[in-house]
Amino acid sequence: MSEHKYTGPIAGIFQKMADLIGKDVYYVNFLILMFFTLFEIAAVFFETVPGTDIEITRDAVWAILIVVGIIKGYGIAAFFMHLKGDPFIYTRTALFPILFAALMLWGIGLSNPDGIDGLPSWCTPNYDYSYVTD
Amino acid sequence: MSGSLHDVKNDIWMKTVLISVGLLFAGIAAYAVLAEGIGSVKHHDWEDAHHELEEIEAEWDTANETGTLEEKEAASDKWSDAHHADIDAHLSYLTWSTAGKTIMVMFIIYAAFYGIAGFFNSIQPEEEHHDDHGDDHEEHHGSASPILMAGGILLFMMGFPGFVTTCKAWLGLDYDPEMSGFMLSAIGAMITIMGIGNWWNEDLKGHPEQIATSDPFKGQDIRKAGMWIFLISETMVFASFFSSYLRMRTGWCTQWAVNAGKCDVVDTYTASDYLRPGGATGTGDFWTLLPGGINTFALIISSYTIVLALKTAKNVNWEPSKNALMARLFPTRKQAVRNYLLITVALGSLFIVLKLIEWSHLIAEGFTIDSQAGSIFYVATGAHGLHVFIGLLVMLFMVFKADTVGYDEENGQGIEYFGLYWHFVDLAWVAIFPAFYLY
Repeated sequence: MSEHKYTGPIAGIFQKMADLIGKDVYYVNFLILMFFTLFEIAAVFFETVPGTDIEITRDAVWAILIVVGIIKGYGIAAFFMHLKGDPFIYTRTALFPILFAALMLWGIGLSNPDGIDGLPSWCTPNYDYSYVTD
Repeated sequence: MSGSLHDVKNDIWMKTVLISVGLLFAGIAAYAVLAEGIGSVKHHDWEDAHHELEEIEAEWDTANETGTLEEKEAASDKWSDAHHADIDAHLSYLTWSTAGKTIMVMFIIYAAFYGIAGFFNSIQPEEEHHDDHGDDHEEHHGSASPILMAGGILLFMMGFPGFVTTCKAWLGLDYDPEMSGFMLSAIGAMITIMGIGNWWNEDLKGHPEQIATSDPFKGQDIRKAGMWIFLISETMVFASFFSSYLRMRTGWCTQWAVNAGKCDVVDTYTASDYLRPGGATGTGDFWTLLPGGINTFALIISSYTIVLALKTAKNVNWEPSKNALMARLFPTRKQAVRNYLLITVALGSLFIVLKLIEWSHLIAEGFTIDSQAGSIFYVATGAHGLHVFIGLLVMLFMVFKADTVGYDEENGQGIEYFGLYWHFVDLAWVAIFPAFYLY
């Protein structure tokens, strides 16, 4: 398992970093996970960027939490769970429930009485809003 | 076909019975030191702080009736300081008391699994060894464990309400014990543990890895494919928690929503309002966010240690580190695998202890399960914590196996397949932590 060399646009970067410091990809992945966890906690902990007056807005925190979540999710799934390197059927298996989860989240948004008129129009095509106006 | 068969005698399981006695004593000692020792000192401190607060409240009342404006303000400031001191003393007491109780209960459960499963396995008659094991034409023998476990869980759940009521009565709460339900639950737990123990024994002796013979997993280990299918169902379980949370959250007028101009008056406090600095309740600071932060790091480190256990097991050219401390901690490949697994168990146990400490603080501050925000928080994080705990119980066996027959390049895939589950639990936390603690 440690002999495997990772390729590809993102996994290749992990591999190059590992080669650079003379460690394996698992170690690099571990460091990246630790760093980004610290980063997301700091984003919530500080109200301004340390050393400056720049406010960390709600939208910025949102963006940071989502982006960091995706990076951490990729690191754990691709390297620790060996989806990179294992036969592609496992990646397909892992992605299978994503469709259902996405449908649930979309449906849930529409099911919220306060969410109907708050959702962007592309979420509610051909909806006449009679429920809201009533 | 991979996997191996080990000539293991059943009396090897007596070792787990001895370990269970040690775990029992360790749990009781942790309770005595943390909850009864330090906890009672902290309780006295809290009583003193509370008594002082009551005195200052009386002074404040007097100042309000007869004092000048300056005296009223001074009394108000003094009350505020005493109030914070009272809260701090209460939370400090809860920290030690909860830590002691949690460690004791966890160790009792660890001891029950090791003790009951070990004793049950040690008294089993030895099977005759057949030389044709490992042959490609060998017929796979079914396992009684799943039906034993299913039956045990059924009985446990049937008696569970009585079990809870009886436990509450024993804790001194105003309940009447329901011994019939308690006994039914206890018998169910025993049968469940025996089923799991039987499974452990079968795995300890080894088995040839079964390979899928049809699409889409043709040529793959069945256990690995099965684990991934299981993880699909787990994904949907957590997706249901998240969709429920989103459904509720978009309807709440939280501080975030007020700041975004979506509503005017805060009607709901979320867990993050209590935990995060700048949260709406004003109770959050570095220390309230710390347990969740440590837990996040603990899970990531434990994910890495289980990867190291697998890597070490599979590495036929493994050599001890040149670093003296590392060489002492991990002297041989077999001990290195066991110790990496032990570190993983320790980190997982730390996660549970910190989680319950955090819950005790939140409940003391008024964030209870009887609100929508509390209900979804405790159900989602509780379900995750339960997954961590179940993982720890599986790891108890893996530590024992690593210590006895050992993991190597032939049977190391057991660590890999369990690792998939453990990484999934870590992955779920990657989503839960920001959603419930930070946002």
